Amino acid sequence: MADTTNKKLRVIYGDVTLGVQSDRVQYIFNYTRNGLESLVVDGKEWLYRTPLPTFWRATTDNDRGNGFSQKSVQWLGADMFMKAAGATVKIDGEPIDLPIAPGNNQYSDHEYADSVAVTVHFTTATIPTTAVQVEYRIAADGTLTMHVHYTGNANLPDLPVFGLRLIMPTKAVRYTYQGLSGETYPDRMAGGVPGTYTIQGLPVTPYLVPQDNGVHMATDWVEVVRATTQDNTQLTPGEFGLRISSVDAPFAFSCLPYTAEELENATHIEELPPARRTVLSILGAVRGVGGIDSWGADVDKPYHIPAGEDIDFSFKVAPL
Amino acid sequence: MLPAHSDHRFYQHYHEIAGEHSSLAQSLNGTWRFHFAPNPQARLQDFWQADYDLSGFDTITVPEHVEIAGYDKLHYINTMYPWEGHHFRRPAHTVGQDTSGTGMFSTAPDNPVGQYALDFTLAPAFAGKTVTVQFAGVEEAMYVWLNGHFLGYAEDSFTPSEFDLTPYLHAGANRLAVEVFKRSTAAYLEDQDMFRFFGIFRDVTLLAKPATHIEDLHIQPTLADDLQSGVVKLDLTCSPVAAGSTVRAIIRDDEGETLMDTTQPAAAAQSFTSDTLVHVHLWDHHHPYLYQLYLEVHDAAGQLVELVPYQFGFRTITIDAQKVIRLNGERLIINGVNRHEWDDERGRAVTAADMDEDIRIMKTHHINAVRTCHYPDHISWYDRCDVNGIYMMAETNLESHGTWQKMGAIEPSYNVPGSVAEWRAAVLDRAQNNYETFKNHTAILFWSLGNESFAGDNIAAMNAYFKKVDPTRLVHYEGVVNDREYEDRISDVESRMYAHPEDIVKYLGNHPKKPFLLCEYMHDMGNSLGGMKAYTDLIDRFPQYAGGFIWDFIDQAIAVTDPVTGQKVHRYGGDFDDRPADYEFSGDGLLFADRTPKPALQEVSYYYGRYDK
Repeated sequence: MADTTNKKLRVIYGDVTLGVQSDRVQYIFNYTRNGLESLVVDGKEWLYRTPLPTFWRATTDNDRGNGFSQKSVQWLGADMFMKAAGATVKIDGEPIDLPIAPGNNQYSDHEYADSVAVTVHFTTATIPTTAVQVEYRIAADGTLTMHVHYTGNANLPDLPVFGLRLIMPTKAVRYTYQGLSGETYPDRMAGGVPGTYTIQGLPVTPYLVPQDNGVHMATDWVEVVRATTQDNTQLTPGEFGLRISSVDAPFAFSCLPYTAEELENATHIEELPPARRTVLSILGAVRGVGGIDSWGADVDKPYHIPAGEDIDFSFKVAPL
Repeated sequence: MLPAHSDHRFYQHYHEIAGEHSSLAQSLNGTWRFHFAPNPQARLQDFWQADYDLSGFDTITVPEHVEIAGYDKLHYINTMYPWEGHHFRRPAHTVGQDTSGTGMFSTAPDNPVGQYALDFTLAPAFAGKTVTVQFAGVEEAMYVWLNGHFLGYAEDSFTPSEFDLTPYLHAGANRLAVEVFKRSTAAYLEDQDMFRFFGIFRDVTLLAKPATHIEDLHIQPTLADDLQSGVVKLDLTCSPVAAGSTVRAIIRDDEGETLMDTTQPAAAAQSFTSDTLVHVHLWDHHHPYLYQLYLEVHDAAGQLVELVPYQFGFRTITIDAQKVIRLNGERLIINGVNRHEWDDERGRAVTAADMDEDIRIMKTHHINAVRTCHYPDHISWYDRCDVNGIYMMAETNLESHGTWQKMGAIEPSYNVPGSVAEWRAAVLDRAQNNYETFKNHTAILFWSLGNESFAGDNIAAMNAYFKKVDPTRLVHYEGVVNDREYEDRISDVESRMYAHPEDIVKYLGNHPKKPFLLCEYMHDMGNSLGGMKAYTDLIDRFPQYAGGFIWDFIDQAIAVTDPVTGQKVHRYGGDFDDRPADYEFSGDGLLFADRTPKPALQEVSYYYGRYDK
């Protein structure tokens, strides 16, 4: 074996997982869970479940009026029932076979690398299917860069949204972002004033019938701050945060205590379950909200998400 | 019932004006005795008698909706009539000759009745004067008695109804009895898209009229063609008139400079005309300059007995040869909203604080115009619009979409008012109530004939009425788009609702017959209001495009405490076991029902701000 001890990242070649450790951040990729199962920063866990691609938005009144949700209903199933088709791993840029036994018997407890990349291949539960890749790249300094790719398929209906959904174990105290004021959408962002904004709690915009809300377009970065964990040894460790930042282009996001499906199921805001998690969706494509009327007029064409075109987006995840 | 007249307030002394505490007015708001009858048969037949034993009565607050007080079921429904699925009805005289519909409402099982009684003590200063009672808003039909004497009947829920009490009034204790029906034939004309309430929901006031009283006032500020100078003509009607009394008319500018001070003997009908006023300040959104009028009535001994203050402005609203709407000669751009009166605790019984907040939000976000959808508002709302430069489309209380809009189809087989002769007087009365009450408000640029009532001879007659009584303003009606035969007889403007931008381009790009405006657009239901730029771009492209009124200003939903979570939450149609319902369709505001702004408001502020000039 080559001497790798001068490299920055420690790699643990497990039988089910791949562990990657830097000074402050420890990652565990789980091949049976289709991605990153654990993201620990300074001893605090940031993931409740593996991040998954997201396709659905809770039906807006406009979507309901023009029948969009019926036309695009396949994406609801895809959102809820993602199917993975395997993963690939690169160490220092070189592809390796999935390092599980017996192949991983070659490794030791002292394995190091300058970069690790794990790509999870998903297949959508749609007819026809299409492919989505979620790539995790960990640099020598422990920073995670994610790249998400949607493969266009013109035989599928317009998408309600496309993004990557990270669910955090407890409800955030607040989030701060650099982007546009207020809740913005591609066809409703002219009035958004650029700046840095802090949103206390995780408010759900109280539309009479719960629906998609809280999207922030054109964001440079967002910091999520929590103060609680599920770790019985440190349930209230004081505030700690994680920063998501843009790589080559601003991104859109929403940070809510609910998934699209939870919002979809409620007819009133008080029917939503008690807020206990943080659902951070980093969005590569957002459908407009429309506004001509609420009983048939479609969202303007430029603000659709046509299924036939590829979608790519990237963002960085780092400790505060 | 007294004829409709101007909405001026009258006082005895100057010092009463600032606090609006007239010693000639006595509020009857407060706690009234109340009996709820679930249908007309269950009414207490004699409750109006002077000595009726009220000990078995409940109490209710006036003003308040009966449903908010908990007596009748809350119900939200849009176009469908509220009896849909419960009773078969057709408006009288619409489907054959023998369809007068006698008893359709007066004996209907779904027509609850509120029986109100109030024992009040007449203010000692009122003794010996003519005294009337004014109901500012009662939905939807009412009978009134004083001390056992029948005074009259009124419909038209949203304009004042005033009755003369003098012949039956006692010094000291008196009893007023009011019987309010939830439904009447007026129900066909008041099918507005809103919670369906009934009861006394606006102020009730006793008015003491001095020996000479200004009953009606018509202020007519007229500008010369160059918009530099002007003349004010005042037409007054006095009733009663005491011999030897005089009326003094004073006009001052906003710095207190007196521009007119003329005294005439009081007469049943008289006019004042000012000298030519030079360098007149014009009124508009940015400079809502108002002149102050005082009318002093003096008795034969020279004593001041009545004082009427009124503020008015100079402005012109015209359509030029190129079909461009011009305010004071400048192109008018309407950055408007439709506004239902709403308070999530009180429904349409809005408060001064509600109205002040609405004005503040409008001014903060470059909203310069309001359509009083779809009925006349609280009188003080018009004052606020005058003072704050909010352009008004003053809509008549008329909406009958349930008679012609059915499951998306246009099917007017039993439309009212249509051209049905028997319905004409009712809608003309509504037009007249709207005009006579609000005619002095500078902010009103458009009279609106109503909303979504289709088109016919009766709407044309309303249009003709407004044209006859008020050549200084424009008349608006949208429904004529459904019957182009009436195009030349109804509406000065081409008005549409929710038109797609490309359809507007088609109209405006093809030698438009009229200026174009959107009486409703940008339907802000839930998370909406995307794509507003497509509309504001039309402002740059077409001078004949005058902008529009967003639908709408505030969500209509009711605040309740959720029994499961204990949270204060908002409920909408269907949440009260009210069926059929139109659910959240009344949640289309730029504000949530508690007046917190929706996220979309910043977008409106941005686009309206770009055209706020």
